[in-house]
Amino acid sequence: MNSEVQRVTLSLPASAEYVDIVRLNLYGIASKMGFSYEEIEDMKVAVSEACNNSVLYAYGQKGGMVEVVFEVAGESLSITVRDEGESFDGVGTAGNRTLHDKDLNEVQVGGLGFYLMEALMDEVNVTNVTGKGTVVTLIKRLARSEEHV
Amino acid sequence: MNTKTNDKFNATTKMSEGGSTVYLSGELDLSVAPDFRLVMEPLVGNSEIDLIVNMKELTYIDSTGIGILLSILKARHGMKANFAVEEVPAQIQKLFDMTGIAKFFQAQKNSQ
Repeated sequence: MNSEVQRVTLSLPASAEYVDIVRLNLYGIASKMGFSYEEIEDMKVAVSEACNNSVLYAYGQKGGMVEVVFEVAGESLSITVRDEGESFDGVGTAGNRTLHDKDLNEVQVGGLGFYLMEALMDEVNVTNVTGKGTVVTLIKRLARSEEHV
Repeated sequence: MNTKTNDKFNATTKMSEGGSTVYLSGELDLSVAPDFRLVMEPLVGNSEIDLIVNMKELTYIDSTGIGILLSILKARHGMKANFAVEEVPAQIQKLFDMTGIAKFFQAQKNSQ
């Protein structure tokens, strides 16, 4: 494959019913690139969490669009999820958000999405611009050395 | 019997002596979270029964689904009632382990 970056762009309504469409596209692209079943399942979760955040927090009650860009660059897949709504809180504190050190009485429902993105991808970048939306970039690299099964 | 059918997600409740098992299939994500809550709601409040969710046919879960399971765990814990998951696929178990919800299911198992 040449080293040129190839792009697939999806533009979808920021609605929960469309998040599975993103997963279907991800599956097609990632399997074509040679990612393992488990890696694809991991990416599905991470990408869906990014989309969920846009669906839940970007536009409030009024509708808007979410743009998902898949960038295929030889050894890595980069997925960018972009909305143009309100930015959401809780970015960059993923380390404190698991349930591992907590008692059932003190756990709070929610906040696991960001943790999952960071745990399941090689790289996660989040950019918030107040009033101009959120851009989440997720990167996964092909691990060829582990593929001798 | 309470059944919620959808193209991509299905939850079917089977009652037995002393317990209810909810069989999930398909993808449990943000779009079907209200359906799942609706099925679980009447069962969660009944402390007389053992409540079990069977995940054998569940192919996908996101943090919304895990969040619902967590809120059920909390509610049942408060009522001193059982809540367990069974036949959890490896990929979903991995997410349970990563987020830390797995230990709450485990703790329940041990306390019986």
